[in-house]
This record gives sequence, structure tokens and C-alpha cells, in this order.
Amino acid sequence: MDLLDLKLLRDLKALKSQAFAVALVMACGLAMMIMTRSLIRSLNHARDGYYEKHHFAEVFANLKRAPESAREKLAAIPGVAAVETGIEISVTLDLPELLEPASGLINAVPDRRPTLLNQLYLRRGNLLEGSSRLEVLVSEAFADANALNPGDPIAAILNGRRLELRVAGIVLAPQYVFEARPGSALPDNKTFGIFWMREQELAEAFNLEGAFNTLALSLAPGASEPEVIAEVDRILKPYGGLGAYGRSEHPSNIRVDDEIRVLEGLSFGFPLVFLSVAAFMTHSVMSRQIALQREQIAILKAFGFRNATIAWHYIKFALVIVVVGTGLGTLGGFIFGLRLVDMYHLFFRFPRLEFVPASGAIIGALVASSAAALIGVAGAVRKVVRLSPAQAMRPEPPESFRPALAERMGFSKWLTVSLRMALRNVERKPWQAIFTTVALAMATGILIIPNAFRDGIRHILDFQWDVVQRQTVTVSLVEPGPLRAAHDFSQLPGVVLTEPFRTVPIEMVAGHRSRRLALHGVVKDADLNRVIGGDGKPLLLKQNGLVISEALGETLEVRPGDLVTINVLQGKRRSITVPIGGFSQDFAGIASFMELDALNRLLGEGDRITGAFISVAGGQWEEFLKELKATPQASGVVIKNAMRQSFRKTTAESIGLIQVIYSSFATVVAFGIVYNSARIALSERARELATLRVLGFSQGDVGSVLVGELVVLAAIALPLGLWIGSGMASLLIQSINTETVRLPLILSASNYAYATLVITLATTFSALIACRKLNQLDLVGALKATE
Amino acid sequence: MVASDSSSPASPLVVARDLAKTYGSGNAAVHALRGVNLDLPKGELVVLLGASGSGKSTLLNLIGGLDNPTGGSLHYRGWDVSKADEPGLTAYRRDVVGFVFQFYNLIASLTARENIGLITEVSRDPMSPEDALELVDLTNRANHFPAQLSGGEQQRVAIARAIAKRPELLLCDEPTGALDVKTGVLVLEAIQRINREIGTLTVVITHNAILAEMADRVFTMSDGRLELARVNAKPRPVGELAW
Repeated sequence: MDLLDLKLLRDLKALKSQAFAVALVMACGLAMMIMTRSLIRSLNHARDGYYEKHHFAEVFANLKRAPESAREKLAAIPGVAAVETGIEISVTLDLPELLEPASGLINAVPDRRPTLLNQLYLRRGNLLEGSSRLEVLVSEAFADANALNPGDPIAAILNGRRLELRVAGIVLAPQYVFEARPGSALPDNKTFGIFWMREQELAEAFNLEGAFNTLALSLAPGASEPEVIAEVDRILKPYGGLGAYGRSEHPSNIRVDDEIRVLEGLSFGFPLVFLSVAAFMTHSVMSRQIALQREQIAILKAFGFRNATIAWHYIKFALVIVVVGTGLGTLGGFIFGLRLVDMYHLFFRFPRLEFVPASGAIIGALVASSAAALIGVAGAVRKVVRLSPAQAMRPEPPESFRPALAERMGFSKWLTVSLRMALRNVERKPWQAIFTTVALAMATGILIIPNAFRDGIRHILDFQWDVVQRQTVTVSLVEPGPLRAAHDFSQLPGVVLTEPFRTVPIEMVAGHRSRRLALHGVVKDADLNRVIGGDGKPLLLKQNGLVISEALGETLEVRPGDLVTINVLQGKRRSITVPIGGFSQDFAGIASFMELDALNRLLGEGDRITGAFISVAGGQWEEFLKELKATPQASGVVIKNAMRQSFRKTTAESIGLIQVIYSSFATVVAFGIVYNSARIALSERARELATLRVLGFSQGDVGSVLVGELVVLAAIALPLGLWIGSGMASLLIQSINTETVRLPLILSASNYAYATLVITLATTFSALIACRKLNQLDLVGALKATE
Repeated sequence: MVASDSSSPASPLVVARDLAKTYGSGNAAVHALRGVNLDLPKGELVVLLGASGSGKSTLLNLIGGLDNPTGGSLHYRGWDVSKADEPGLTAYRRDVVGFVFQFYNLIASLTARENIGLITEVSRDPMSPEDALELVDLTNRANHFPAQLSGGEQQRVAIARAIAKRPELLLCDEPTGALDVKTGVLVLEAIQRINREIGTLTVVITHNAILAEMADRVFTMSDGRLELARVNAKPRPVGELAW
């Protein structure tokens, strides 16, 4: 071994804890980079493979009912490659273990032809045979949540008839990667599921023989999606078409895309922060190392070593850190990535979602961390090269100081002597101070993000479930029924209050902008499901007045008072132009409301409703559910508390994991930066501190002089970090907010307190560890020669 | 704890008996002190002469509470310094001992006044930093940082820092070792003046034999053994020494 390399090894051994701290910070950035890039790759890989192999469609549409003959017209649209028509119907289920009725969508599996698009993936059991009767396939998410297995019985109410069915198999489908009730942003796999039955059986039950009510298309290469969509809409209009849409509006696909988009943002931003901090730390450690080895460098130069040889010697020092950092980062990235892939199973259902390590990212990590280390070491090595041997033999000139800014401004009276030392040191090395502060601030800021998400979600849920939806359950009818149906519900045991509602699909048009969505007709002075304005108070719905959510207002670029046209996509397909009466506060994105009577006048079908909000007294809850289960016209039941619980569980789990990851990274950064700063300060000021010990300062006194500077910097970094963290959380939340999910930015005191506490503990703990080195101060040496 | 005044005024302030210090063990053992006996009365100026490696710094370190002996005993006012623990030694250094270093060891980020203030803040009965600076004739340099002072000035600030807490014991380790003759004289004059005006027992270690003239009592050290060389009935002022 080269003797210089031997020196390198011994130097590394002496500096192992500091070098390790740098490597750890580097590893955090790289772990985040490798984790996010690998997750993106895993999701892309799972999604693309699944979509391709199971022929996920590209255009989708729902309609009232069209004869099979319409199929040929659709297939003839230029650019259409394949057409898949089917039946999709809401059902109510009776699960023995479940008190409440569950609901779901039931799809048809074609009997006489192969499924062309959105093909099923069989997880367990069997697919449906041509001869099978009263058998269903169940989506995996629902089956898992309710512990259903092939062969288990399941009772369903189809078009008012109760059928005893048997589970034939557990399946997945590419259009239900993210499985949630239509219009709901949250999964509720316990009470909502997707099912498949033989087409003939389903058609018979719903009188849909020879007809279809759902459509999926794939496109030929080069086809124009908007043109195909326009043509589909034209063809389906007479059959009650509800508007076709592409993959970019497909609810399940949007969720997968959103997740990938967020990961992409994280895969760049986070590593950048961490690697910058690591570069700065490398610089500090190497500068100090080179200052300590001035004389050694001088001797090497005096004996004829070339500049390049010496520079390379120190660069290698940094590269060892890079290798360790990349190794740890890769390991961390894999471990966290595997955990997150597990977590994705809560939300996304793929036939296989495996952790696919992004090997490119590992190479990228190596390059990025090498670059960071080289940038860090460059300045220090430049000093080595410039040093002339004779100059290097002499000790460094004494440091010159001046009164700190605060003193020059006249605040010196209030400053203790050790605080003055700290402030003057900070001013003497402003860049070191700035970097330490920024790094600590970033560590603080990172901690704000997961809790901001948690608080935002909590706020939405509390708002949605305590302010807006005060009902106990929401019951939907199989199809629009008379107002009397609501009265029938009010006769069920324990019912305190019932409010009918009607929901219709519409297209809202303002100028050249338009949007398809549901228009909700609600009673005027609602007590249960209320429309809440921006001021948090219920909005009064005026006759013919329309209220839309702020998100919809932004999408359509309209304001209260502006006129919009409502095209009803159902029944008589009437149109009306009305002014916008106001904006509602709705975190679920786009929504629109009208007074129930006004809506019914618009529809011209008499007083009809599609469901009711019901408030039930606690004591008779079980009887209520029992009777509701036996009510055939109730197709969908949403129980607020069940929804709340299931959501708490999934979000608590996922946010909990993300919080662990972010907190550990932030702690590592805070720990690394404080520990290294303290160690470097200790090395630079060993003589000064030893002098103070000789002069009668206790270890504690000297320790506080040592960390005084860091305390000043941490005091600046904490508020700065809270501010930066709020900004980062705001940016991240804005970037993931879509039309369907609007997360508010909630920055709570407890969030700030948590971040402050973690950083304070991490810095205190690392400073204490560094201070333990004060035991090793050489008091006798302080009396002797200069450094 | 330190400094209960159990001894009579006439008894020596510092008493060492068979004081020994050995570094290392076995073949590698270095006997820095080989049984030193020493009585230092209050208020005297003592010079300790010896070549480098003779053990004089080791002795000073033990007297100053920087190190523990490996044999014998060391008492300050009857209190056993040799058996003190770390907090006890820290308190002893803080309350009893003043140190002057060969290389001044001022805190670079503090002005002359603040260097002194740093110590007076933790002392029980200090003089003001201004008074301490006046004793070394540096009132006009109070707001200068070490980098703005000459070596001699820095050493005088260091002396002011050492005596500002009114120590009973002032230990100076080669105080003029890094200075030229002219500035060295100024520093020694300051030390002598303080010894006379405040009555601090002062121990100066040096390898410069001329300094013996200024002391009340002179010891020589060689190979870890101490000998009383002479007692000056009339120590000479520093200004009269022949350099």
C-alpha cells in the first residue's frame, strides 16, 4: 500500500465519527433519491405492465341504456381500435359479519365473447364459467377487508330482489387500481366493493338484455382522443350518455398519476437539500483537516511531492465518505422503499407491485454525491495547492476579530462575554454560519411537511364530517323515486330526521369552458347535509339559485353573479341558464348545489329524489341497520363513522410511516451538522478551551462556550426553519391539489412545537456528545507551544 | 473544597513532601519528579531555575492543580491538593491560582478588557478589569483585540487576567520565553510589582539564571530533583538586572 494511503486510512480512523456524520447526511439525500426513483419505477412498471397486459381502455363513458346495435356505430368511429360494452350497476350487499349494508358496483363479464378491454386478473379461485349461476367475482380490496374467500356465500339485492350468491374468485381490474365509491376521494374497502357477474344473469336481473350502459374504447395509433370523445358523445346522446372521458380523467388512473407526480417532485428537491448540506459539511471537515495538517503538507511539498499528488490525497478522503454515504443511502432507499411499496397496497391494487430498484438512480446517486463532495472539498484543496512550503512551515497568523454587529449597534450592554465570543465567531466565518443555519433550518422545515398533511386531512375530515355532513348515514335509492321514499326512511327505527336529496349528472358551461359533474338538489333549510360558505356559515339556497364550490368557480373562471348554463345529461335533457348565487367551501373539489324544488322544476319529472340524509338516534342503531338492510330500494349506504374510522386507519398508517422517514432524516441532518460543527469548533479552539479550563472554568462552563455559537445559530435556524417548512408544505400541497382533492394548508401550533422539539433534542444531544470530548482536552499542553 | 484557613499565618502556603510524578510504566517510565520537598511561604516571589526537561513544568502543573502526582503529598493551606477530584481542582484553579502562560493564551475573539472580564465573572472577589489593566499599565489598550497587541502587551494582559481575581498563588511558566529582552523586562516588572503590591505568592519558572536576582528565594531543578539555591535578603528590582 502507498504510504500516503496508509496516512489516509489513519487520518480517516481519527476522524471517523465526523466522516460518518457527513456520510449519514449524504446517505439521507441519496436514500430519498433512490427510494423515490425506485418507487416511481415500481409504480410505472406495475402500471404499464398491468395496463398493457390487461388492455386498459383509453376512453370511457357511462350511459343510461343503449342497444347492442350502437356498438357497431362506435366501432366505426375513425381512430377506435377496440370497443368493449358492458353493464355496470349499483348493488347493495348483505354481509353476515357487517351490521350495515355494504354496497358496490357490479359489472358484467361477457358470456359469448372474450373481454377485449379492461381484462380481469384472477388472484384466487376461478373466473366465471359459461354455465355458472349465482356466482360472483369480488375485487381484492373488498375481499381482503371483509375476509372473503372463494366459495364464501354473499347476499346481494339486485333490482329489489335478494339473491344468495357465491364467491367464485378474487380478481383485480386495471380500471380499479384505486378502488373508491364514485365521487369519493377516499377508499372505504370495507363497505364498498367491485363485483362481476355473468352478463346474461345481470342483464336479466336489470332488464338490460341486448343492451349496455357502460363503454370502454381503445384507440388506434395516431388517433385523436378529443375527436373520438366528441364522436362518442354524439352517438351516445340519444341513449342517455353521461359524457365520455379519457384516461387523464379516469378516477383510478388519476390517483396513480398523482402519486407518481408527487414522487417526482420529492426525488429532486429533497436530495438537493441534503446533498448541499453534505457538500458544506465535507468542506468544513476537510478545511479543518488541512489546517491541522499544514505542516505535514509543507514537509511533503518540501520533499518534492507534486501538488496534484497531495490534492488527490485529500480528494480521496472525500471519496471514501462518498462510497460510505452511497452504500448507506442505497440500503436506506431500499429499506424505506420496500416499506412504502407495502403501504401502497393499502391504496393501489396491482397484480404485482414489486419494489424495482432504480439502478440508474444508484449511479446517479454516486455521481451526485461525488459532485457534492468534490464541490465541498475543492476550496480546501485549492488552499493546499496554493500553500508554499515555507509559508506552511510557519503557524497560521493569529485570527483577528472585531466587535459583532449587535455590539456595534449598541447592544453590547446586554451581551454576556461568552455570547460576544459566539457572535464574533459567527461574523468571522459568515459562510460557515449561514450554511449551518440553513442546514438546521432545512432539517426543521422537513419536519413540518408530514404534519401539515396530517393536519390538512384532519381539517377536511372534521369540516366534512362535523360541519357539512351532520347526518349519520346517507342512503341512495336504486333509481330516482318519489318524495314518499324519504318519508318511508323516516319510519325506520331510531330515525330522528330525514332530508331528501336528488343528484343528477349535468354539464356546466361558462363561455368556452365546461365541466361535467353532479348537481345536488338539497332542501332549503338543511340541518343535516349543509352547504357551507366561505365564512363557515350555512348558505341559504335561493329559488333557482345555484351554488358552486370555489374549485369549480376557478375551473370555469366564474364568480358569484355570473351566468352559467346547466345542461342536464339525463331524462329530458333540459338546459337552463342561471346566475351563480355563491361559492361554497368544499374540500372535495368541484361541486354544485341547487334547491331541491328548483332542481325538480328544471328536470320536469315531478318531485323525485335519489336518496336521503338520515340522522339516527344512537340507542336504536342496530335495529335501524337491520331494517335498512332489508329495504330493497336502498342501493348505497354511507355510514359517516365507518368512513371516518377506515380513513383514520389508512391515513394514520401511511402518514405515520412518512413521518418516521422524514423525522429520521431531519434528525440525522440536525445531529450531523451540530455534531460536526461542535467537533470542528472543538478542534479549532482546543487551546482556547484548555486555557479556560486552566483558568478555573468547569467542563460545563467550557462546554457552553464551545456550543454558544451553535446555540446562537440554532436560535436563528428554528424560526427560519418553521417559515421555510411552512413554505415547502404550502408548495407541496398546492402541487398535489387537484380538482378532486383540495387539501387546505393547516399549520398548527402542535406541528411547529413538534419540529422545534425534535430539532432541539437532536442538537442538544449531539452537542452533549461532542462536549464529552472536552474530557480529553490537554490542559498541560495548553501551557506550552502554540498550535 | 478549597481553602479553609486552618494554618497559622507563619506556616507555608504550599507544602510538598516526597512529591513524585512518573509518566508511563515499566521500561518506558519517565520519572519527571523524584521526591520533591518544598515549602512556599505567603507573599514571596520564587524563581525556579532549570534546563528544559528538568521537571520544573511538571512541578508547576502539580502546584497549579492541572495534574495529580503519582507519589507523595501536596497541601495548600492544609488542604490535600494531591487527592482532590476534578471539580475540586477546578474550584482550586478558579479561586486560588492565577496562571501566566508562555504564549499568553488570550482568547482571540475577546478584547483585553473582556479577556479579564471572562475570568472576573466567575471569581468570588475580583478587582475590576480596569484596575487589573492599570496594574500592568495597559489602561489605554483595554478595547484592543489580541491580534492588535504586541507580544509584550498580550503577556501583560495575560498577567492582568491572572491577578484580577486576587489569587493567593500566581504561577508563571516561562513568561518571557517568547519575548525579546526589552519587552520581557516590562513583563517581569509587572510581575514583581504585583507581588509587592498585592502580596501574591508568585512562582516564576525560567531557564534564564539572571532572573534569580529578582526573587526572594531561588530553587534549581535537575533530573526531577529540587534544591534550594539561595535566599535573597534583598531581591533586586528587575530594572537593575544585568541582561
